[in-house]
Amino acid sequence: MDGMNWKCFKCGETLVKKAVVFEYMNRSFSHEVPVCPKCGKVFISEELAEGRMAEVEAALEDK
Amino acid sequence: MQLTDFTQFTGSCFNGEPASCACACPFGLDVRGFAEKCEKGRWNAAWKAYKTAVVFPAVVADLCPAPCREHCQRADLGGAVDIPGLEKAAIRFARKKAEGYNVPPRTQTVAVVGAGACGLSAALNLALKKYAVTVFDRLPGWGGSLRDDPRFGEYDEEFRFQFSAVKEGFCSFVFEHEVTEAELAPFDAVYFATGEGGFRLEGGKYFSGGPCAGWSLMEGIAMGPEASKVIEAFLMTGRADPILPHEHAAHCDRYVSHRGVEPAAPSETETEAGAMAEAARCMKCDCTDCIDSCIMLQHYRKKPHGLAREAYADSAAAPPIATQSLVRQTYSCTNCGRCNAVCPTNANLGAMFMLSRSDRFRRNTGPKAFHDFWLREMDFSAGEAAAALAPKGKETCSYAFFPGCRLGMSAPGLVKKAYRFLQEATGGDTGLMLGCCGVPALWAGDLERLQSNIDRLRGDWERLGKPTLVYACATCERTLREYLPEIPLVSLYRKMAEAGLQPAEPSFGEAAVFDPCAAREDSELRGAVRDLAAAAGTALTEIGGGSRCCGFGGHIQVPNPELFQRFGEEAAAGAEAPYVVYCINCREVFRTRGKECRHILETYFGSEEGPLPSILEKRHNALVLKQELLKEEWDVDFTPETQPWDALRLAIPDELREKMERTLVSVADLQEAVWHAETGGDKLIGDDGWRLASLVKSVVTYWVQYRPSGEGDENSFEVAAVYSHRMKWRGAEIR
Repeated sequence: MDGMNWKCFKCGETLVKKAVVFEYMNRSFSHEVPVCPKCGKVFISEELAEGRMAEVEAALEDK
Repeated sequence: MQLTDFTQFTGSCFNGEPASCACACPFGLDVRGFAEKCEKGRWNAAWKAYKTAVVFPAVVADLCPAPCREHCQRADLGGAVDIPGLEKAAIRFARKKAEGYNVPPRTQTVAVVGAGACGLSAALNLALKKYAVTVFDRLPGWGGSLRDDPRFGEYDEEFRFQFSAVKEGFCSFVFEHEVTEAELAPFDAVYFATGEGGFRLEGGKYFSGGPCAGWSLMEGIAMGPEASKVIEAFLMTGRADPILPHEHAAHCDRYVSHRGVEPAAPSETETEAGAMAEAARCMKCDCTDCIDSCIMLQHYRKKPHGLAREAYADSAAAPPIATQSLVRQTYSCTNCGRCNAVCPTNANLGAMFMLSRSDRFRRNTGPKAFHDFWLREMDFSAGEAAAALAPKGKETCSYAFFPGCRLGMSAPGLVKKAYRFLQEATGGDTGLMLGCCGVPALWAGDLERLQSNIDRLRGDWERLGKPTLVYACATCERTLREYLPEIPLVSLYRKMAEAGLQPAEPSFGEAAVFDPCAAREDSELRGAVRDLAAAAGTALTEIGGGSRCCGFGGHIQVPNPELFQRFGEEAAAGAEAPYVVYCINCREVFRTRGKECRHILETYFGSEEGPLPSILEKRHNALVLKQELLKEEWDVDFTPETQPWDALRLAIPDELREKMERTLVSVADLQEAVWHAETGGDKLIGDDGWRLASLVKSVVTYWVQYRPSGEGDENSFEVAAVYSHRMKWRGAEIR
């Protein structure tokens, strides 16, 4: 699904990579993900959610 | 939280502490470690460990009455290990070296009165520390009472060997001399080891040990190193502590179960191979019963005392400044109680983990996502799906059926039929209490939510005239007994057995009853289910070593899915025969893993056909059960709440459904996400008409990739992907 050409339905804009601040377990950090350049709608892919994000979540939960 | 709040659950544990043999040893020799070295043929290391403990190996190996053997746990499994034989083997096979300490000479002088083994033990230790020691004895040489022993030659050699490590000038001997008090006056400290009934002075700089102070010869030798420490402390600080022998007990309770250990015949210890074989018979007794009985404890490889300390350290840590170390393990305990059941000293790691969970919940340091699903389920069961009614036309009742939350969700037909049976069996005097016992809150550590649920249940029970609750779930029973001890309880299964109910369908010809963990202590409940299974014509076999935890308890599925899976697999492998179960969650675990099983209620009220209901279907089942029971038994209309997204039909591939069940994602959450995306337009659109919606629900964000099914029905969608994460985004940074 990463290869799909996702667009924001509301704005009609193609998503662009931008740094987004994520928060979990009272910690925050930023990571570049595709975002609607107009409204800021974020896209999290299945690969990211179940890969790197899950790893970081587990690491933060264990701390 | 204090350290003792956690160590109270492990205080009695003797894991890692000296074994029963070492408890009995006057020298406190770590027999386990000594035997381990002997077993490996590490004779030098074995001899050194032995020498450090006993001071004069050749003397002690010969003369010690070896109380260790009386406390050897090998005794009933081939005979006690020959520890004295191993000691002699170590002396025989080791390359021995007398060693002193590399310390500067001391200025103080010490007199030792009595050159027997006890006096020599103290003199040697003090002289090695480079105090100027003078040993007095009225006999013409050292050895004291041992001088008359036919083997004195060997002992004499041992004394010479050990004293060879003393540097020139630090130990002198005055023999054939009755020392006087005046002669002792110039010394900074004096140690009396004058034998039984021997002369000694007390107080101030005067110390004594061995038989003249009322101790045995072995204790006296063991007191030598201790005497040197006490005298050294006295010379440095002026404080005179009493000199006591190593603490040892004639009896100790550190006995390990040794399940499955085969007897082994003793071996000679004259040869090196023989001694190594004898040392291998030592079972290195250390209690690991709780760890051996629990795959979770085995997985994390931590010991009870350490766990309690870590749980306390976590309770004192304030993340993110200080990190915690026991989070995942704390939430991986199924609270099955097996560790406590097998513990010879009643330690209770499960209770400690539950305390730690409540502590983490209270301090808001535990990951909320671990129990969020189950707390939402509990709120549903104790909310919309709950009911408390006396039989129609009555205000109160003598009995009330409390089926628990999951039975009605998974097998609503069984609840209905069981209620009707109870009504008939009690002459129409059974009310109904649908709800939740509150254990999800207990397992989440949310004690406030637990308490409010308990208060609600108590209120309902009082309103129904304080009936006896007829429970169907062992976990409900355990929770109610603990938190609502005033409520009288009886099991549905006992009522069925008493009524002589006939089975609705043939049962297994042969089966094993799989007991839920909460029924471990409840022989009455276990007996009732066995009576029912036997009455249905099933030849019962027992699961060897008892039922293992199915993994459902403690709600470890989210924090530790791999362990959850392993618990289920191990529980399913307990017996070849199919299982008769009486917990609906056990049934679900086994059916998911393809283990043939049947709930005892299915045998008596008819099987619940079809596949296991999904998370959404379970909620639906609970509401329809309430709706139908209220209508049929009370003629009361109940209309479940509806949501606008209920009308959406999602075609979800089987492998996705399986993943959703495994990761506890409800179709309802997807419907809600799609509905918001379709009505509000907040979605992404991709190739081939695919759309992507997300929904933040409590602490989890769900994503669903879907598109209209193209069947002309605007409420019909096909789903291609479902996933979730726990992180939240705050928004794109402007750069």
